[in-house]
Amino acid sequence: MIQLAYLIPLFPLIGFLINGLGWKSMPKQAAGFLASLMMLVSFGLSLAIFFEVKAGAADTIIPLFDFIHSGKLLIPFAFKIDALSSLFLLIITGVGFLIHVYSTSYMHEDEGVVKYFAYLNLFVFSMLLLVMGSNYLIMFIGWEGVGLCSYLLIGFWFKNRDYTNAAKKAFVMNRIGDLGFLVGMMLVLYNFSTLNYNELFAQINTNQTVLSGSTYTWVAICFFIGAMGKSAQLPLYTWLPDAMAGPTPVSALIHAATMVTAGIYMIARSSVIYNQSEFALHFIAIVGLLTAILAATIAIKQYDIKKVLAYSTVSQLGFMFLAIGCGAYTTAVFHVMTHAFFKALLFLGSGSVIHAMGGEQDIRSMGGLGKKMRITQITFLIGCVAIAGIPPFAGFFSKDEILASAFAHSPILYVAALGAALMTAFYMFRLYFLTFSGKFRGTHEQEHHLHESPAAMTFPLIVLAILATVSGFVGLPEVFSEHHSLNEFLHTAVTNFGAHHMEHNTELMLMGLSVGLVSVMIGLAYARTKSPNFVANTGLAKVLENKWYVDEFYDAVVVNPLVQFSGFLDRIIERKGIDGGVNGVGKMVRWAADRMRLLQNGQVGAYLFTMVIGIVLIFVLGLFFVNF
Amino acid sequence: MKAIIAATILGIIMMYAGFVVKEKKSVLSIATLLFVLLLGVNVWELLTAKPGETQMFFNFQLTVTPFSLWFNTLMTAATLLYVLLMGNDIIKVGKHVGEYFALFFFILVGTYMLSSFNNMLIMFLGIEIISIPQYILAGSDKRNLKSSEASLKYFLMGAFSTGILLMGITLIYGATGEFNISKFSFLQLEQVNPMVLTGVLFLIISFAFKVSAAPMHFWTPDVYDGSPTPFTAFMATIGKAAAFIGFIRLFHTSFATISDSWTMVLAIITAATLFVGNITAVFQQSVKRMLAYSSIAQAGFMLFSVVSVSALAWQGLVIYTVAYTMATLGMFAVLLKLKDYTFDGFNGLAKKNPLLAAVATVFIFSLAGIPLTAGFIAKFYMLQTAVAQGNLMWLVIFALIMAAVSAYYYFRVIIAMYFKTGDPEMASELSGIDKFLLVLTAMLVLLVGVAPQILLPNGI
Repeated sequence: MIQLAYLIPLFPLIGFLINGLGWKSMPKQAAGFLASLMMLVSFGLSLAIFFEVKAGAADTIIPLFDFIHSGKLLIPFAFKIDALSSLFLLIITGVGFLIHVYSTSYMHEDEGVVKYFAYLNLFVFSMLLLVMGSNYLIMFIGWEGVGLCSYLLIGFWFKNRDYTNAAKKAFVMNRIGDLGFLVGMMLVLYNFSTLNYNELFAQINTNQTVLSGSTYTWVAICFFIGAMGKSAQLPLYTWLPDAMAGPTPVSALIHAATMVTAGIYMIARSSVIYNQSEFALHFIAIVGLLTAILAATIAIKQYDIKKVLAYSTVSQLGFMFLAIGCGAYTTAVFHVMTHAFFKALLFLGSGSVIHAMGGEQDIRSMGGLGKKMRITQITFLIGCVAIAGIPPFAGFFSKDEILASAFAHSPILYVAALGAALMTAFYMFRLYFLTFSGKFRGTHEQEHHLHESPAAMTFPLIVLAILATVSGFVGLPEVFSEHHSLNEFLHTAVTNFGAHHMEHNTELMLMGLSVGLVSVMIGLAYARTKSPNFVANTGLAKVLENKWYVDEFYDAVVVNPLVQFSGFLDRIIERKGIDGGVNGVGKMVRWAADRMRLLQNGQVGAYLFTMVIGIVLIFVLGLFFVNF
Repeated sequence: MKAIIAATILGIIMMYAGFVVKEKKSVLSIATLLFVLLLGVNVWELLTAKPGETQMFFNFQLTVTPFSLWFNTLMTAATLLYVLLMGNDIIKVGKHVGEYFALFFFILVGTYMLSSFNNMLIMFLGIEIISIPQYILAGSDKRNLKSSEASLKYFLMGAFSTGILLMGITLIYGATGEFNISKFSFLQLEQVNPMVLTGVLFLIISFAFKVSAAPMHFWTPDVYDGSPTPFTAFMATIGKAAAFIGFIRLFHTSFATISDSWTMVLAIITAATLFVGNITAVFQQSVKRMLAYSSIAQAGFMLFSVVSVSALAWQGLVIYTVAYTMATLGMFAVLLKLKDYTFDGFNGLAKKNPLLAAVATVFIFSLAGIPLTAGFIAKFYMLQTAVAQGNLMWLVIFALIMAAVSAYYYFRVIIAMYFKTGDPEMASELSGIDKFLLVLTAMLVLLVGVAPQILLPNGI
């Protein structure tokens, strides 16, 4: 069965080709059905493979063909199936399938729906390549592929200039990160002359190639720069909130559940490298923590329902990197999984709300929606509870594990992370209360229009709500259970750095503390939103509403100087220097050509005469070069 | 050997078939059939040959190696492709259709001799067998003054170069008393004879004429432009390849030991050829004439294989010949579909006939040496042999600059097709077969560009 794993990416590719090539003639319903069907098949295969791996199947490499074979360098196009990739396969195809189903209803009125599903299938295909590749190059192909699809889908409504600008921003920021990834790959290739995971990690583990620690640090940092771009970490995170310009299911799939976690996957996959460099891990922990806090503070004062969720995603990704920085790769993967469920759920829920509101995204105009859309309300509440970290919902276990590993590392990290977690609880419930409880604050027309979404949209919500409720049980903490099934599953693929052993009492106390404080936060959120009045923000609140002015800061410090500089290059160097040179050469060639063609005058006598001169010249040359 | 006999007999049959069968289309069908037959004979001979074995014929006059068999097969296949692509245009040239096809068979006989001669007289015979039919082909459109002019010019200048060829052979015979090219190895032993070296220079000059290298290239634009277009395509591809195989065979077998004496002269000729071909092509207004100059420029690249004496050079020549032949045949086939041969005649072709424009783009890319096409790999091989030679870096750099210049005039066709508006007049509509063959040729160009190893089977 595992040998058939290459079929998993094949089906979305087929879906992409059919929808992509036939986007003019494909009927709308058929496109969505086809795309969803392809995802379902892939999901079925992923399930089968997952259970086979879980039953103890060995790591498998599925070679397809030699991708690059040049001199000593051999890079095969091959897939690697092990615990880590099979888990990601399951998340990607599972959540992907639900979001495809959701999209069939959400997008059914859009004229570009066939194109939409083609892009969506292409995205899943690329994402599968990313996690299935058996070497960094295949990962990079997928990495670039998802970046492209993200660009295409953010700018899906390309007639709106702001949206295309958001798409461009996402693409450019990702490219900055990609450069880091690329440099890291080159470093690996230079030092180890292979990009294949198995060979590379075997070389490191058996000390076949002895390298200085700083080399590992460079590789690790370069890869992390790649992850910063893709997974929206400081300082490259600003594209993700803007990426909400895309259709909401896209935000759920790409910008919450799957693509943005690619950075986590990459580092978890490279855990062998990261374990060689404690400095890199510390660096990641700090960046992750700062991102978590910064994004959480911004989320508190946002009024766009999707923007809140976007900053929350950035913040949660920061948590995952914090876990990685503490050496707890499996914990990060655990949070990837639970986050995929509850964040996809929240985004789809917000999509359902936006759908009901006729495109309105400002929570100041919402309120009291719970009465009209019960399923959305309940599932959204489950999502909020899960992300806030209330037991026994999924987010509690994964977040608790992150906090525990942070505590084991340093209490300061723990306190800061706990602060971010509390802010999470606050802004999520602020969002929930403003949206679903209280009185409706929109126009009368909108109120009339309010309705629960169709089954194709509520079905994924319900499934995800169930997953967000129960998926935490795969990673029960030591206090409650001797078996941490996720860690046991992943330990063949990922090696955690250092082990954290905590007194059970301490652990219980920390849990109690966080749950207690979270409850307080929820209460606070309820109190603050009970009778909302939206006056203009001042002071710190205004700074937060304007996202710490980070975008403005980037514009002033990076973008504008760059624009000035390229303007200079364009006007002076390009137009005058290079163009002048190139055109000059061209003119010279044309001038020479104009003279040369006169030799070809059509007279045989002249030709023969010239040839004889040529022969004489050749003999004269012979005097110099031939040793008569 | 079997192929030489087969080609001769089939040529004669073809000639008589032309007398008997009056219907032009039938003559074409017979010709196609006979070419398939000839290809079959070639393949049969290739497959039955033992790897690495050299067969001698006619009292050591011919030395047939697996390489020559492979080259013959490729050239025969190219001729078949040519007949398939342009058969309908060939039979429109004049009345005596059977003769044209018979002449192709005879040219192939000459090609086979040039790929396996072991004696300079056989070489001379081979060169004349490929040249004289080409004089006739050039003038086959008898009512057209330009065609007759081309034929006469070609003949006059060809006779001139034949004289030089004989002069070279005579001088070498005078110095060594030998016609057998594999027996010149004594050259390295004694003091190198000035008479031999003079003879070598004469041989270089006459071969330079046959492959249209500067400064012996003057016949090329006039003859190629004046000849009926289908025959221009043949002369520029298979005719040129035949001359090259003779060139490399003589110089790398007999004169390899004294290569120090002649490589520098030939390198300068190569540079001059690249310069003249590329620079003069820039100003042409007719695509047909541009292709004539481009064939001079491409000959400059093919000369690399003669300049660098190594086994790699032979492989490079095979790849370059095939790549160049396919792209040029394809481009001429496209040209034949149009009424107007100027660059303006291509204006707006992409709108009017996207398929024709697309395949033309592939051929142009290949001629310009853009990656993924056969032309890129071919140029790569050629430059690689020169780099391996060591002291020819200046020539490699010069060739790269000239390749960049070539992009200028090649891309003018693409610009005309895709970025200019116009309504190109078609000479004839594309039939299904035409489309299939054009796409097939374009596919082959891309296939060789991706997997050039298919042209270099083991044991050649």
